[in-house]
Amino acid sequence: MLEKAGIARPMGRNEPEERGGAAKGELSEAPHGVARLACFAGVVLLLAILLDALITCGLRQINTSSFGVWNRIVDGKINADILISGSSRALTHYDPRIIEERTGLTAFNIGLNGSQTDMQVARLKTYLRHNKKPLLLIQNLDLFSFQTTHGGVYDPGQYVAYLEEPAIYAALARIDPNVWKARVVPLYGYAAEDLRFSWISGAMGFFGWNPPEDHFLGFRPRYSAWTEDFERLKAMNPEGVRFEIEAEGVSQMEELLSLCKDQAIKVLLVYSPEYMEMQALTTNRPQIFKRFDELTHRFGAPVWDYSSSPTSARRENFYNSQHLNAEGAMTFSNDLAERLAADPVLGRPSVRSYSKGKSS
Amino acid sequence: MLFNSLEFAIFFPIVATMYFVLPQRLRTLHLLVSSCVFYMAFIPAYILILALTIVIDYTAGLYLEKATGRARVWLLAVSVIATCLVLFVFKYFFFVVNNVIGFAGLFGWQLSGPSIEIILPIGLSFHTFQSLSYVIEVYRGRQRAELNFVTYATYVMFFPQLVAGPIERPQNLLHQFYERHEFDYVRVTAGLKRMAWGFFKKLVIADRLALYVNDVYANPQNFNGLQLTLATIFFAYQIYCDFSGYSDIAIGSARVLGFKLMENFDKPYHALTISEFWRRWHISLSTWFRDYIYIPLGGSRFGERRHFASLLVTFGISGLWHGANWTYVFWGLLNAIYLIAGSISKDARNRAFGLIGMTEGTWARRLVMWASTFLLTCIGWIFFRANTMADAWYILTHLAIGWDFERISTEQFLLRQMPIAIAGIALLEIVQLLQNRVSISAILARLPLAPRWAVYASAIIATVLFGIFRKTQFIYFQF
Repeated sequence: MLEKAGIARPMGRNEPEERGGAAKGELSEAPHGVARLACFAGVVLLLAILLDALITCGLRQINTSSFGVWNRIVDGKINADILISGSSRALTHYDPRIIEERTGLTAFNIGLNGSQTDMQVARLKTYLRHNKKPLLLIQNLDLFSFQTTHGGVYDPGQYVAYLEEPAIYAALARIDPNVWKARVVPLYGYAAEDLRFSWISGAMGFFGWNPPEDHFLGFRPRYSAWTEDFERLKAMNPEGVRFEIEAEGVSQMEELLSLCKDQAIKVLLVYSPEYMEMQALTTNRPQIFKRFDELTHRFGAPVWDYSSSPTSARRENFYNSQHLNAEGAMTFSNDLAERLAADPVLGRPSVRSYSKGKSS
Repeated sequence: MLFNSLEFAIFFPIVATMYFVLPQRLRTLHLLVSSCVFYMAFIPAYILILALTIVIDYTAGLYLEKATGRARVWLLAVSVIATCLVLFVFKYFFFVVNNVIGFAGLFGWQLSGPSIEIILPIGLSFHTFQSLSYVIEVYRGRQRAELNFVTYATYVMFFPQLVAGPIERPQNLLHQFYERHEFDYVRVTAGLKRMAWGFFKKLVIADRLALYVNDVYANPQNFNGLQLTLATIFFAYQIYCDFSGYSDIAIGSARVLGFKLMENFDKPYHALTISEFWRRWHISLSTWFRDYIYIPLGGSRFGERRHFASLLVTFGISGLWHGANWTYVFWGLLNAIYLIAGSISKDARNRAFGLIGMTEGTWARRLVMWASTFLLTCIGWIFFRANTMADAWYILTHLAIGWDFERISTEQFLLRQMPIAIAGIALLEIVQLLQNRVSISAILARLPLAPRWAVYASAIIATVLFGIFRKTQFIYFQF
């Protein structure tokens, strides 16, 4: 019938007969060949598993730089009285050494480079899981504080060794549902997600290597001169720039404040210095700051706004429109620390618990 | 489904295992089903478009074989037009509409295009050409019409070469679906090694270079001459490694299953002339255009004028095949001009070489010829890769301006990527140079099992660790 319909045609003389399996003689070779391939695949898989474990172990052994900070967080070795949290602006603006000196309290900076509020909350939760809760959380505010991560996290390789942390994994899974592959498939996270070759650091760390220290109580000073990034930004955006206020971003900020409220952690929201020309370029700045004020009213967390500070006015304090250089960070940290020490609420004797010897 | 994905790493072993376990009568059907699964991983509904072209050309093939006289010509015309119409609608509709609107604007007419979005089905240009090849060969009497619909559908949809070639001829591929392919350890491992080499080219070299090229070509005005030059050279290797890497994976995976696909690249950047380059680059497409456009137009058989006109038309269409943008058309025409100029100036160049003592076969002459061919190719790639003609012209005119060795990296391509990119290209060239002199596979095969496996395992792990796995599809998928 199929032949009549023209769909099939009778087999020709030269076409192989259907034998339902391999020919004799070939039958015995196939299982042997398949077994060899399977064995080789097993060897590769085993190597991948071992290498993955070696890299992860190595990264967890590093004492310095950004991985050193991560390890101190998850090993519960910080336990600071004052904790600074936020994005790269937190990381490069707040020097805990100066804050410690002025306030007499221990301080640590867990600012996360290239992060939005969702990943900052995850890092804070991880900190609280392993460390004593701080007396005061200083949360740095940004124009993009009400935005969540889209299109992938910055430097995803830094998280691979810490995917067992529930808060980190949950936050990453919200951003990229495929993050389970990094947990389950050996080397996937270091291969598929990491462009910075963290796996090399991990392999070397396994044998005791540590990168040069560039984080000081979590603070990372930037010894850079002003770059041309802002001029390019202005040229590309003559009408100004706008930072969207996302509902999920607002929700993340509220989650952070609620978390602190539930744990009786005082919160101070700080809008650290921003180069004033950038302030003028942002078209919806008033709306963003109005949202900051709303948070203050709802959660009782004061906002200290350094937008109009002398530090913000001087280009010499910045290496780009959003980030203070080392000198600018020192000036700002001094201002902040003195204000903290003098604050009637935040600087009250009952808040002080001098334990400077614990900070390292 | 991308080759460089976890999904394919699971898909392929299952498909291959089932292929060898199933009885012969079910194997082609199994390949067809697998190919459908492979294709539907992109946009499932688009399989209907593929089904349409398959039905059109399968039916046309059957009737073409039986028809005589003018009816055959009409049938061929209907089949070709219908198949090309599908390609036109999805690939060139908005290109034509936008150009008509632009042209009307020159006369002050304000026209507006339709507000719909058409997403190009992946691999449309490739399987369209493969289908066209079939009906044309049946028309020419060089191929019997395939009566078995499942076999014909599998010929069009065969997943290793479905989305980016090689564009197969029915004489090469169709009969292979009737052959018994048994599990042969040597053949299977040869196929796997070919795939591994393809993955290395794609993941370690092509996708790494893409980080640099994408940054620079997105906004060329923000980069200095050194960066523009590097990006152009990098693109030459990116597109080669991306496309030849895909072909290696396609050929290798087909080889695992027992199928032999045609070679698609033959070290094109080792060519000494543009003409030789086109005999080495995307061979399946070049030969398709040669056999179905260039030769029917007359080729070189009817004098110089007809020859040059055939070249211009063929390469112009080739450029358009690559994309609905004038930059591609310009690239195609530029290559035609290269060939024409090469043809006209051949004697003059020989005399010039002779005058300066560079006789044929000397290394100096070969070096000059190689360098000039590579340079001309790279100039062509500028137009191929640039987003607009204006961008292309900017890049071309600023290659030598404002070199700054302290500003090499880009936002995505940090300096730490450079040694790996250079090392990858160097390894590629070394392997290609050695290929004609020694058999690397044979040398490795002589090693005892443990060191041999150690080499293979290390190569795989190194490819995984140094590979870039960002969601980058193969360049030629967009064609």
